[in-house]
Amino acid sequence: MKLIKSIVRPNMVDNIKEALGKLNIAGMTVTEVRGHGRQKGHTAVYRGREYEVSLLPKMEIEVVVPDSAVDEAIKAIIGAARTGEIGDGRVFVMPVEQGYNIRTGEKDV
Amino acid sequence: MVMSPAKGRDVDQAELRLRLSASLDLARQQLVDATERGEGGRAALARHADCIDAIVRELVDHARVQTRAPLAVFAVGGYGRKSQFLYSDIDLLIVFGGPIRRPEERFVKALLHPLWDLRFQVGHHVREHADFDRPDTTNPEYLLALMDLRPLAGDPDLVARVDSTIQASARTWRPQVLEALIALTDQRHSEFYDTLYQLEPDVKDGPGALRDIWATRLMLRLGGDRRGGVRGASPDRLRDAEEFLMRIRSGLHVDTGRNVNVLSYELQEKAVDRLHYDGPDMRRRVEALMTDYFREARGVTRGLGRVRRVAVPPAPTPIRLIGENLMWVVEGITFADAAKAAAAPAEWLRAFEAAVSRNVGVADDALALIERELQKHAYAPETFHPTADHRARILQFMRPRPGLSARLSEMRDCGLLGAILPELNEISCRVTRDFYHKYTVDEHTLLAVRNAERLLMSPRFGPILREIRSTEVLVLALLYHDVGKAREGDHSIVGAEMAAAMTTRLGLDEGARQTIDFLIRHHLKMSRIAFRRDTEEPEVVRQFASMFSTEEHLKLLLLLTLCDVGAVSPDTLTTWKEELLWRLYVDAYNQMTLGYGDDIIDREQALVAALQANRPNDISEQEMATFFEGLPRRYLILFSQEAIYRHVRLSRDMRPNEAHFFLEKNAEVWELTVVSLDKPFLFSNICGVLAYFGMDILRGHALTSLAGLAVDVFQFADTDGFFERNSQGRKEFDRRLDDVVSGRTDVTSLLKSKEGSVLARRPLVHRTPVVYFDAAHSQRYTVLELVADDAPGLLYRVSRVISDHGIDVDLVLISTEGQKAIDVFHITQGGAKLTEEAEASLKADLEQMLQQPH
Repeated sequence: MKLIKSIVRPNMVDNIKEALGKLNIAGMTVTEVRGHGRQKGHTAVYRGREYEVSLLPKMEIEVVVPDSAVDEAIKAIIGAARTGEIGDGRVFVMPVEQGYNIRTGEKDV
Repeated sequence: MVMSPAKGRDVDQAELRLRLSASLDLARQQLVDATERGEGGRAALARHADCIDAIVRELVDHARVQTRAPLAVFAVGGYGRKSQFLYSDIDLLIVFGGPIRRPEERFVKALLHPLWDLRFQVGHHVREHADFDRPDTTNPEYLLALMDLRPLAGDPDLVARVDSTIQASARTWRPQVLEALIALTDQRHSEFYDTLYQLEPDVKDGPGALRDIWATRLMLRLGGDRRGGVRGASPDRLRDAEEFLMRIRSGLHVDTGRNVNVLSYELQEKAVDRLHYDGPDMRRRVEALMTDYFREARGVTRGLGRVRRVAVPPAPTPIRLIGENLMWVVEGITFADAAKAAAAPAEWLRAFEAAVSRNVGVADDALALIERELQKHAYAPETFHPTADHRARILQFMRPRPGLSARLSEMRDCGLLGAILPELNEISCRVTRDFYHKYTVDEHTLLAVRNAERLLMSPRFGPILREIRSTEVLVLALLYHDVGKAREGDHSIVGAEMAAAMTTRLGLDEGARQTIDFLIRHHLKMSRIAFRRDTEEPEVVRQFASMFSTEEHLKLLLLLTLCDVGAVSPDTLTTWKEELLWRLYVDAYNQMTLGYGDDIIDREQALVAALQANRPNDISEQEMATFFEGLPRRYLILFSQEAIYRHVRLSRDMRPNEAHFFLEKNAEVWELTVVSLDKPFLFSNICGVLAYFGMDILRGHALTSLAGLAVDVFQFADTDGFFERNSQGRKEFDRRLDDVVSGRTDVTSLLKSKEGSVLARRPLVHRTPVVYFDAAHSQRYTVLELVADDAPGLLYRVSRVISDHGIDVDLVLISTEGQKAIDVFHITQGGAKLTEEAEASLKADLEQMLQQPH
C-alpha cells in the first residue's frame, strides 16, 4: 500500500475526487493547508499598498491505495489538477506498512 | 465437604456479586421501562439512585471488616442529587475519622472493586476528616462536588460531623465556589459558541441544559436568594424544564447504550416517539420537540442569567433616570413607569437603544412587560414605527457595534424583533438539516450579526466595515439573508422577496433597497467562487467583479459572506477560508478600479439589447449605438436605464466647448451629470466649480468614450447649504459651470477669490497619502490610484496637477470613505500609457501638492 499525498489548488478537489472515483478509489482525507512552493508566493497590491502573499491557500488530499493502483492514481490526480500554470501543486508517495478498519478491527489487505 | 475460610469468602463474594448484579439489572430495567413510557424523569432517576444506594450500603457493610476506623461514605455530584441516569458515573466521597493507613486502603479497594465489577464508572475522593479543616480551595470542581453531599453509609457520628463541618466551611468557601462555578459555566458555554440554539444540542452540558439548572440552584443557595428569590428562576419553572430534559436524556442513554447526551438528528426522531409528539410527518414532530426544547432551554438560560446578575452584581450602579420613562438599574435598562410603557409600544425600542449605548442588557421586568403586551395585542408592524423619526431610529439602531446582537437576541426572545420585522417569525427555532449548520436559522442569523460586531475589531476587515456609509444595510441583509428558508423555493430569491416587504415598510431609499436585495440574492455567491472556483483565472475574477455596480456592493458582500460563513459553526470560517475570500475581494476590487477600462461595451451584450428594447420613442437605435461606442462595459452597470437614456439625450447636438448638464437631488445627496466632448482640463474644471461652491464630493465617475465623448457624474453634499440659502443658487451654479466648461471663465482665478475660506479647512485626520501607479493592469491606460485625507478641493487640485503635466484623464472613479478619499484615474499621454519618467515626475508633483498646506 502507498499513501499518496497531493497539495493542489482548492478548486481542483472535486475534479480529483471524480477522477479517483472512476478508479474506484473512494476514501480520501482532505485538509485545508497553506504553503508555498519554489516561487515563495507573490506580491499583491491593494489600494496602492503592496503586501506579501507568502503562504497560499491549498488543499491537501490523502489517499491510500494498493501498490498496483499507485501509478494510475497519480496519473488521475495530475490529470485532474493540472492547469499548466505555476502553483498547480505537488504529489508525494509514501509507503504504508499496515492499515486497519477501526469499526471492524480488520486489517487492510 | 468442608470449605477453607478463604474459599468460603470467595463463595460469599461471588454470591454477593450475583445478587447485587441481579438487583442492579432490575433497577436498570425499571428505568428503561419508565424511559420507554416517556417517564424517565426525576422520579424514575431517584428510584434508580435508591437502588444504587442500597448496593453501595451493602458493599460498605461487607468492606467494613477491613478497618476499625470511623468512616462515612457520601454520594456527591449528580448521584448526590439523585439524578442518576442509566449510564451516569457515580461519584463517592469516602471520609475516615483518623489517618489513612493500610486497613483503610483495603476498605476503599473492597468497596470500589465490586462496584467496578458491576461496571459502574466510579469517581471517588478519599479524605481524612482533618482535611476539611484546610480544604483544597485550588480544586474548584471538588468544592462544587461537595455542594451536593448526600450521606449513604458509615458511622452516624462521623457522618454528622462531616456534614456540619462542610456546612460551616461552605460559608467561608462561598466566594471561591461562586467564582469557580461562574468560570466553569462560562467555559462550558463557550464550548457551545455561547448559544443554546444548537441543532443537535447537548442536553447535559449545553447552554440552557441540565447542568445550567444545577448551576442556577447552586447560585441561588450561594447568595442569589438573599433578596428573597429571583424572578424568572422560580423553582416550579426550573423543575418543569428539568423534568423535560431528564426524560430526553434518559432516552439518549437507552437508545445509545452509553453515556451519550447529544440529541442528534437521529435520536430526535426516536425521542418524538417516546415523548408522544404527534404530527402529520416526522419533520413536524421533530420541529415540535425542538421548539419545546428551545423554549425550556431559553427559560433556563434566562433564569441563570438573572440569578447570576443578582449573585454577582456588576459594579455598583446607582438607580437613575436616563431618559423619558427609562431607568438604569442593577439588572439593566427598564421602564420607570410600566403602565405608561405598556401603552406606548413605539417607544419600546428606546430601552434597547439605551442598553446598547451603555453595553448593558435590558432588565427582565422590561422584557417581561413587552412579552406580556405582545401576547395581549396583535400589533401591526407599523405600530412600532408610526413616524419617519421612528423608522430612522430603527435603522440607526441596526448599525453594528458591541452589544447589538445581544440586544437583538433579547428582542427576539421577548417577541419584539418579530413584531417589528414579522418575516423573522417564520425562521424562529427553524431547523435546517445539513452537514454544516449547527444552529437554528434564527440563531444563525443573530450570530452573523454578532460576527459583524466582531469584524469591527479585525485589523483586515474592520477598516472595510468602517468605510461603509450605511452599515444598517449590512445588518438588515444579515437578518433577512436566510428568511427564505422558511418557505419553498430558492431561499436566496424568496428571502430577497420577503425583505422587499420590510424595506418598503421601513421606508428605505431606493439605493438601500436595491443593495439589500442584491446582498440577499447573492449571499452564497462569493463563498462559492472563492472556495470552489479557480480565482487565479482572470476571467473568473472579471465575471465576479462584473456583478457589482459599486465597490461598496463588493465590500458589503465580502462582509456579509464573512459574517454568514462564521455563523455556520465555530470552526467553519478558518483562516484559510478567510484568506481565499480576502484574495478574491482584492482581485475583484482591483478589477473594478484598475482593470475595467479595457473592457468596452459590446453591442451584442444582453444589457445593450435590453436598453435598445426598452428605449423611449425619442431615442433611435443608431443614436444609442453611437453613444455606447467605446464606453467601458462598467458604464452599463453603474447607471440605471433611466440615467442612461438621459445621458443619450444630453449628448445630442454637442459642439466643442459646450457642455450639457443635469442636476438633481436624491435625499441629501446632489447628483451632477455633465456630458461634453472631452478636452484638456475638463474634469479638473468641473471639480474646481464644485470646490468653488463648497460642495463635498462623495463619489463619482468620469468616463470617456473612444470617440471623445465625456460623461462625468458627481454625487456631492451641499454641506454649507448653498442651494438652501440662495434662492438663485441653482441658476448661479449652472452659469458658473457653463462659463468654466466653455472656457469663458478661468477656474483658477475663480478659486483664488475663495482662498482663506472653504479651501483652507483641513480635516482632522492626517494620513500619509499614497500615490501609486499601475502600468500592468490595463492594456490601454496607466492607472493612478490615490488614497489621501479627504479635503475640500482635493479632487480639483489633483486633477489640475495631472492636467498641468499634459496628461489626459480618461476614466475616473471617485469615492470618499469616512475621512479618506480614494480616487482612481485612468490616464494617458498622447494617447499612450505614461513613460516611467512621466510617472516619476507626476508622482513627485502630486506628493508635493498633497503635503502642502492648502
